[in-house]
Amino acid sequence: MLTWGVVVVLAVGVYGQRALGMALINPKLMGDRSRQVLAMVPLSILCAVTALQTFSSRGELVLDARVAGIAAASLLAWKRAPMFLIVVVAAAVTAGVRLL
Amino acid sequence: MRQIPHGTSLRTGEAWAIAFTYFTVAITVSLVHSTAGTPTWVIVAATLIVNSATATLAFAAVTAAGGSVAAGVAGGWLTSTRFGVLAAALAPRLWPQRWKRALAAFSAFDPNIALANREEKDEDVRRVYVAMSLWLVLPWWLGASIGALIGDLVSDPKALGMDAMFPALFIAIIRPQLITQNARLIAVSGAVVALGLVEVLQGGLPFLVAALPALLALRNREDRKG
Repeated sequence: MLTWGVVVVLAVGVYGQRALGMALINPKLMGDRSRQVLAMVPLSILCAVTALQTFSSRGELVLDARVAGIAAASLLAWKRAPMFLIVVVAAAVTAGVRLL
Repeated sequence: MRQIPHGTSLRTGEAWAIAFTYFTVAITVSLVHSTAGTPTWVIVAATLIVNSATATLAFAAVTAAGGSVAAGVAGGWLTSTRFGVLAAALAPRLWPQRWKRALAAFSAFDPNIALANREEKDEDVRRVYVAMSLWLVLPWWLGASIGALIGDLVSDPKALGMDAMFPALFIAIIRPQLITQNARLIAVSGAVVALGLVEVLQGGLPFLVAALPALLALRNREDRKG
């Protein structure tokens, strides 16, 4: 259960990390190679988040209905379907498999 | 919303997809907190000022499993470390003024950073980041508030497949980037590293290690399309 105190402490910590990330970087001092690497960090982290939200639950690897939904989403994404459709189909397929 | 000029990769459809996803997921996040006994106004405040479901949900998960409040807070901080890394990744392309970057830091999430990062010109990066932050954060706050007030109506978010919405959105965002061999290699490595570490490392630590495959960008100077 969240309390006001916990909310404030969480907020300070989370914002602190975000602001630190922004502040640590001095654009003027960065070379091309560092920029090249930093430019790929969001891709790498997003793939990690996607993989864990598809194949894990509470810190454990799990195979469940989400995998079917994300497989459908991947297929649509590969065919360059609209993003909105991809999200809705993923939810619908996952829900459908859970009904079975 | 702001007018997005032609020539940038951002389309209105993507903005709506992000808004819809975050609105819907926010409702379910509020529902989790309200079933854990958190009062409505605390949920609304948590959404507004913590601005990270990863952090508040981690706190809820740890304390629900019998962990102390301190352990819950530590869990919340740990799981959201990736936002700091993502902020650092985009920082060189944002405004030189410190106060503007400090303001931008508040809404450092996955999709707005990934979409802004796709732009070639720095001015487009900034415009897309601001626009996408608004399209993400406003529905997020609205959904969380509605969820906190009428959360009981959505009895089982999993039955509606809502837990598949985030990963599906992220795949849609990642897809256009996978046109070079290096990008594909980095994408697969990030996913494999995270899956390999999830049962070994706590909270958000697998995400930090999963940033390392970005170093593969240095692999060969001419990044061939393939």
